[in-house]
Amino acid sequence: MTADQIRAHIEPIRDEFAESRSLVLPALKYAQTEKGHLTRDDLDAVAEATGFSPAYVESVASFYDRLYLEPTGTRVVSVCVTLSCMLRGADEVWEHLCEREGLSHHGGTSEDGRVTIQEAQCLGYCDHAPCIQVDADETLGPLTPEAASQLMDDLHVAPAPEEFWR
Amino acid sequence: MPILNSVYRHREAGHVLRDLADYRAVGGFSALVASVSDMEADDLLYVFHRSGLRGRGGAGFPMGRKASFLPKDAKLAKYVVCNADESEPGTFKDREIIEMNPFQLVEGVALAGYAIGAERGYIYIRGEYEYQARILDAAIRAAREAGYLGKNILRSNFSFDITLYRGAGAYICGEETGLLESLEGKRGQPRLKPPFPAVAGLYSSPTLINNVETLSALPPIVTKGADWYAALGPEKSPGTKIFSISGHVQRPGNYEVVLGETTIRELIYEHAGGLRDGRRVKAIWVGGSSVPVLGEQHLDTPLDYESLNAVGTFLGSGGCIVMDDSGCIVRATLRLASFYRHESCGKCTPCREGTTWMERILQRIVDGQGRMEDLELLESLFGRISGKVLCALADGAVAPVASALKMFRDDFVAAIEQGGTPRPEPMWPATPAQAR
Repeated sequence: MTADQIRAHIEPIRDEFAESRSLVLPALKYAQTEKGHLTRDDLDAVAEATGFSPAYVESVASFYDRLYLEPTGTRVVSVCVTLSCMLRGADEVWEHLCEREGLSHHGGTSEDGRVTIQEAQCLGYCDHAPCIQVDADETLGPLTPEAASQLMDDLHVAPAPEEFWR
Repeated sequence: MPILNSVYRHREAGHVLRDLADYRAVGGFSALVASVSDMEADDLLYVFHRSGLRGRGGAGFPMGRKASFLPKDAKLAKYVVCNADESEPGTFKDREIIEMNPFQLVEGVALAGYAIGAERGYIYIRGEYEYQARILDAAIRAAREAGYLGKNILRSNFSFDITLYRGAGAYICGEETGLLESLEGKRGQPRLKPPFPAVAGLYSSPTLINNVETLSALPPIVTKGADWYAALGPEKSPGTKIFSISGHVQRPGNYEVVLGETTIRELIYEHAGGLRDGRRVKAIWVGGSSVPVLGEQHLDTPLDYESLNAVGTFLGSGGCIVMDDSGCIVRATLRLASFYRHESCGKCTPCREGTTWMERILQRIVDGQGRMEDLELLESLFGRISGKVLCALADGAVAPVASALKMFRDDFVAAIEQGGTPRPEPMWPATPAQAR
């Protein structure tokens, strides 16, 4: 994403913050909506748009789980594995999905590049345990391994979203 | 279905209040109208104080007192910050409030702003709640268009607006100073306290930070009166609390109860539908995962701050996780230890290294490589982590491990003697959700 595009996003909200440093996180999140992860160029563009150094911008980006500094699959699927979900079958769902995508139990990106699966800490959908989140805007549950597998079938063929909010 | 003694209007009304007209139809924004036209800010603050409302995010600190700590004569701008970074394992009550009744939160934030003399409020929402963030965004916009936010609200001298700020995946940003750091555009690592946020919070300015459930309680407190709220439940724990219950129960969900009037047993067996046939309670983490675990012998404890403290635990966030006797306490404890290892921000060495070691030791016990001296090794860690760090995450990490080891020591010994613990069969959902 270009610095101008990022500027167009953060300028309207600049007055809402006493210090412009607060714009760094919104700028990073917005820059990520283009490709689903942040490249070196994206970090430089955020730095230019916000007026902070690329090193500073990267130091912020590297702190947050949902800012990706490496390429991901088209969709990122987060499988909650925290206690409430574990008690309802999260480990079985997780392992089933990893094996289905030909991945080790550490997760990763499917061979066709469509889907990245990762473990997530409590997603706040414990009443729907075990649950899965697709990027950050859709959470589903309760799921069995079979239902989760069906969801993956869909994700492998679904068109990419216009913006990646993850 | 409408419920009695409810503080949260969507629960009282029995339906979703996502449209401004629906929220107004049940009395919404009448508290803000009355306050800005007829009340002095200090009088409003005194209403909060007299209600006895305590912070619902986890610490349970009296809300009115916290607000009164903001210096009156400060030359700097003051801020209200709402903590919507709901990430405590087992907790999903703020999600419900935002999804079903976002205007009550907006009104609560504005009331708090009026009481402390702020012109800007921030709602910091966890990045994983993007769906909820969009609902809240729309509610803030609608409230602004209707004149409940912005310049000279309802033609009064009070100008106030709210900014929604999205996090990006970090449990530690629910810690109030970690949240402020993140809101200032930094890594979300907690600060040394004091100074407390009331004196030097956001941008080093006086800042009131409260949870979604706390701030959402303010409008009905103003409308129905501090006395009404204070009369609900015990004197030191007044009001209602939404408990999120999950794990091995038949009807996981949110249940709002008057504090002190409901026991853990009633929460599990009457509200949440009980356990599966033939199962008994093994372990209960009643206030989220950062609290000492309870056992079957504690089922008759009333749900309020003091009663839970008396049995050695905390009300916390009200995220009640229940495990029946099919579950394995060693594995459950390991899972929580892994959570804290993952979420430790790494700033304080005792927490960063201590949570790593707790996980590692528990993992080898589960894997069958445990040694009997591992239990003492674990115990030796607790005092080297707790109290040696900047924030409460480390205490939260130690609490479930230390308490489980104390209450269920035989299970840990058995896991070591028997060469590990097999993974129990989970409780599968009765009706799984369909993929889209």
